[in-house]
Amino acid sequence: MNLNYRFRIRETLEQMYLLGVQSVPIVFISLGFVGIMMVLELAFHMRLVLKHDALVPAFSAVLMVRELGPVITCLLLTSRIGAGIAAEIGSMKVTEQLDAMKMLSIDPIDYLVIPRLLGSVFAALTLTVISIAVALWGGAFLAVQRLGSSSGEYFNTVFFFVKFPDVIRCLIKAVVFGSLIPLIASFHGFRCGLGSAAVGEAATQSVVRTSLVIIIADFILTYLFYAI
Amino acid sequence: MILFACRCLKLSCQGKTNWHAVLEQIFQVGVKSLGMTVTAGLFVGAIMALQIDVQLKDFGAEAFLGGLSTSTTLRNVGPVLIAFLLSGKVGAYTSAELGTMEVTEQLNAIRLLGADPVEYIILPRAWAVVISSFLLLIVGLMVTILGGVVFSQFIGVNPLSYIQNIPRIVTGWSLGLSIIKSFIFGLLIAIVSCYKGYKAHGGAVGVGVAVQSCAVTNLILIIFVDFFLSMLSSLLQDVLQVGYF
Repeated sequence: MNLNYRFRIRETLEQMYLLGVQSVPIVFISLGFVGIMMVLELAFHMRLVLKHDALVPAFSAVLMVRELGPVITCLLLTSRIGAGIAAEIGSMKVTEQLDAMKMLSIDPIDYLVIPRLLGSVFAALTLTVISIAVALWGGAFLAVQRLGSSSGEYFNTVFFFVKFPDVIRCLIKAVVFGSLIPLIASFHGFRCGLGSAAVGEAATQSVVRTSLVIIIADFILTYLFYAI
Repeated sequence: MILFACRCLKLSCQGKTNWHAVLEQIFQVGVKSLGMTVTAGLFVGAIMALQIDVQLKDFGAEAFLGGLSTSTTLRNVGPVLIAFLLSGKVGAYTSAELGTMEVTEQLNAIRLLGADPVEYIILPRAWAVVISSFLLLIVGLMVTILGGVVFSQFIGVNPLSYIQNIPRIVTGWSLGLSIIKSFIFGLLIAIVSCYKGYKAHGGAVGVGVAVQSCAVTNLILIIFVDFFLSMLSSLLQDVLQVGYF
């Protein structure tokens, strides 16, 4: 990025819409089910270990906020937008649009990567918040329906055990994962070879690498936050 | 998509699967994904061990760490996360390959030769994806256990007591559930990616669209089926009154 960088507000807003707003339905559906599933599974384990299930909401909400919320949201985002970004930039390279941009003295990194980076960070942040809210609702639904606790009881326990630093750390994770997605994807797009087969190859590669890097980054961040 | 799956099933029931091609495809698809699966499995196991250790400290129940983290990983988190990665790798590879064949009219050429492309091209790939995803998921799950054991060394838990704790909580029921989940995820990845590749149209852009919609459909279906199976196993336990052994 050069120093006299001009903030491209229109491209950024467009990418925020494309990457963020259009991913809301899939995140909404998936994370609702994940929330229900976590309460179900943890109820099984809690009854097994502690012989009662009063702590299920707390345990599931903490696991959701600290770990699964950001990770599953960003893995969904990876296959939703990562492949798209890699394929888009790759086909621009194959059809020599990138060279045309350089001829017009537009830096492709300024013009293509930065708006996607900002849009994806915005998408990851907001979608993580949405996903955790939806997952908690799903969990509350199951807890009321099958475990026989009241919803007030559920949310009371959740708010007692999920601390404010947890939320901040969750958002930091979301920002890190959200910035990893377009960086790795556009890297693969720029390095894409010639021919249309190479574009598909770049898209596939970028999804796989991004998912792997997100899991590894999650491990490192969790270790830094909680084990030291 | 369901009709497509039925057609594949019918053809394979008629014994028209070319097992030699299946083996070749398993090598193509499966062996190349092994390294990625093992890495992912190690880290997933370590993450769950670390996270559950931190949470159990809050509740003062560290003694259950080994069993709880292994059981949660095996029953739920492990299959889902590894299946996510596999649908990115195996599913995208298959749908991109089939999509390219369809777009460049290779499938039409096979039809012209009087052969059925579903039988000749798609069936071996579908079975290869089912088998290799299933085996990779099992390997990945085994590696998650290993990852937890290795990582327990670093967080000051005795690995021996960690291992001894595992069979106290991980029951045959849980193992069976995770194996069933792995098989069904393999089936899902195979059907969705073959179908999306087969239905691709519209040049190179169409292949890209097919790959992306294959990945998204896979993820949503994996989460939905995982939820459904967990719910089913929970209901089944209540009905059979097997208790929480």
